[in-house]
Amino acid sequence: MKEEITVRERSAEKFYYVQRLSALLALFFVFFPGVSPSRICGLIGKNVSLFTSGISYGTMTSAMGRAFDKGWISEGSMILLFVGSLFLLLGIAANAANGCMSLGNLKTKRLGIPFGLGGSAAMVLGMVLVYVSYAQVLQTSRPEKVEPMFPGGYMLYLVLTALLLIVNLLLLFVLPKASADSRYEIEPKYKLFLMFLPFALLCFVFAYLPLYGWRYAFFNYSAGQTLSMENFVGFKWFTSLFSSQATRSDVVRVLRNTLAMSGLGILTSWLPMAFAIFLNEIKTSWFRRMVQTFTTIPNFISWVLVYAVALAIFSTDGFINTMFGGDTNYLMDASHMWLKMLLWGTWKGIGWSAIIYIAGISGIDQQLYEAATVDGAGRFQKMWHITVPGLLPTYFVMLLMSVANILSNGMDQYFVFKNAQNVKTIEVLDLYVYTLGIQNGNIPLSTVIGMVKSVVSVVLLFGANRISKAIRGESIV
Amino acid sequence: MAKTMQERLDEKAEKKYYRTHKKKLDVSPGNVTFHLLNYLFFGVFTLLCIFPFYYLFINTISDNDFVRKGQITLIPRGININNYLAMANVNDLGNAFLVSLARTLLGTALMVAASALVGYLVTKQEMWHRKFWYRFLVITMYFNAGTIPWYLNMSMLGLTNNFLAYIIPGIVAPYNIILVKTYIESIPSELEESALIDGAGFFTVFRKIIWPLCKPILATIAIFGSVGHWNAFTDSLILMQNAPELFTLQHRLYIYLNTTSNLGSLMSTGGSAAAAAAQAAMSTKVLKYTISMVTVIPILVVYPFMNRYFEKGIMLGAVKG
Repeated sequence: MKEEITVRERSAEKFYYVQRLSALLALFFVFFPGVSPSRICGLIGKNVSLFTSGISYGTMTSAMGRAFDKGWISEGSMILLFVGSLFLLLGIAANAANGCMSLGNLKTKRLGIPFGLGGSAAMVLGMVLVYVSYAQVLQTSRPEKVEPMFPGGYMLYLVLTALLLIVNLLLLFVLPKASADSRYEIEPKYKLFLMFLPFALLCFVFAYLPLYGWRYAFFNYSAGQTLSMENFVGFKWFTSLFSSQATRSDVVRVLRNTLAMSGLGILTSWLPMAFAIFLNEIKTSWFRRMVQTFTTIPNFISWVLVYAVALAIFSTDGFINTMFGGDTNYLMDASHMWLKMLLWGTWKGIGWSAIIYIAGISGIDQQLYEAATVDGAGRFQKMWHITVPGLLPTYFVMLLMSVANILSNGMDQYFVFKNAQNVKTIEVLDLYVYTLGIQNGNIPLSTVIGMVKSVVSVVLLFGANRISKAIRGESIV
Repeated sequence: MAKTMQERLDEKAEKKYYRTHKKKLDVSPGNVTFHLLNYLFFGVFTLLCIFPFYYLFINTISDNDFVRKGQITLIPRGININNYLAMANVNDLGNAFLVSLARTLLGTALMVAASALVGYLVTKQEMWHRKFWYRFLVITMYFNAGTIPWYLNMSMLGLTNNFLAYIIPGIVAPYNIILVKTYIESIPSELEESALIDGAGFFTVFRKIIWPLCKPILATIAIFGSVGHWNAFTDSLILMQNAPELFTLQHRLYIYLNTTSNLGSLMSTGGSAAAAAAQAAMSTKVLKYTISMVTVIPILVVYPFMNRYFEKGIMLGAVKG
């Protein structure tokens, strides 16, 4: 008897794989407008997912005011669609709950079965309602305005619904009864995992899913179109980086700016360390604390505010012109842009970056200094032979990180300081990608550049990590 | 992270040492010159860091007529706060302020709660495939699909022109999770074990033991998280293209800084008589300065409280997964 139960449980486990997978897929696609089974006409926006249709009637029908007034669509069929979507959502949620409970003991699993069956029934009902609504919309008097269409996602959800219904029915019969005295239990390892799961999903959706967008690099695509094999172009955009004269010269210019500014940053990366070492020589503690407090402030304001500060000091009616007379707008001057950006970056960041070295200095053994003093070492000798070597490991990590980030200087700083005069010398890779993709709408090419940048950055990071391991025997990642 | 008892004792001993062994003042010319230059350098640099804010500030609290004539450079004259009262009339400013405030409070609260919970979960050895899932989170810090795929993804999820785009993507922050995890691992495990023996469940341990003990690190990530939210600009710029009512304060400030239109089209009328008078005498320059101050003041207000969390925050660069 006991053995028979375990055999049946084990075969039930196989069905559960199907149940969990289908429920997970159904849940996942709920958020994708592209596979929404509820987009039955063109009047429903391209960005309306099943989730949106099921929770917000207002958003779903936002473009339908006129259609309702003129009687092209009856409001009843939209309400049917809304209710159908809602049923689908509830059914999917119940099935997901069943999937979670299936990780528990037999008693917990049995508890999940009604959820699974009820959920599948709700999904079937939802699918029927959506179809009825679709059939009604098909009857519209003005098809060219309403654009009825059979949603591609409908077939997908039909398959998933059928799978879930069948599997749940099978489970009802296969799963043995739990003994009356057992309690609801889930093993701790699954319990912990179930708590972690929502966060893993969030992480997947916002950090991994964007990689799916790399496919745009292989298509002729502009906003609002759909991807199809007709506009598949293979590596055209990749080769256009080299073959198209205009693109090539742009990329070379932007790369030069990026490398120059990152390079200047790397060349001056020892400045925070020097800042910390010399600040440490100041023995008046209130003065030192004041310096530290005030020089850190700029790190905490946004680049937009840095630009506001720059305007207040350097623009036509700014401080310099008010104080010394004149009406030069120094911000419009496009000379030495790389150097100016470096100075702004240093102004904003040096106090903050110095903190880690200040902490480092306080960690150096005081006896070393005392011994050096006894040996007659001067101030600079002590700095050079004790403090600097003590801080070098930290500096080394920082240096490697900035090498790994050589292509990513971010766009905020350059975006706010950009103007018609200096655009040629200020545009870095990140800003160029933004201008090209978001402002000019060349999505494939900007995706290609972003892709190459991402790959190079990862390679650099691991290269830097290798170097660190080889030299210091410690990894930085 | 927190100072251990030993470190504190050492510090005390050190202070005592310096009190009793006060060194003789070194007045050699080389030493004096060095200190003179050193103090001078840091004094000047500190001034460079705060003067711009001071300059913005005195221009906004001075009488607008003096500002117009260019007479306010170092000292405020005719001090009043009417410019700030007139800010209520600036189109869209109040709205942007509320958007930024809402995202800062909501986004930070959710991020901190999630980091605490997930940070605790990933310390649990018995979690199903713990190592894999932890790496799954940590790896995301080292790669990035790029701006455009990110934008396309957000628009596919319906998160363009949607306030939730400010909140949801930031909930899971791998870096902060690592910080919390490392911190929890430094807590003696006996505390947790004894509670478990007393029959406390997962959430009881989390609420009664982990959460209170983690407060320092949670405060740190809360501060850095909220500064990040307050300063966020690019997401508003890229994602809210068709929803100007959802622009953040930084985005609005950027728009105002670059505007060339006259005051009349930027502000409505109303408010107290004094504010209306200030508004009448206001120039676009003062308007820009005042909005800048409105944007920076919240940071300056919380800044003193942030100070003591700096050292933990800078360790952001030094922790590993």
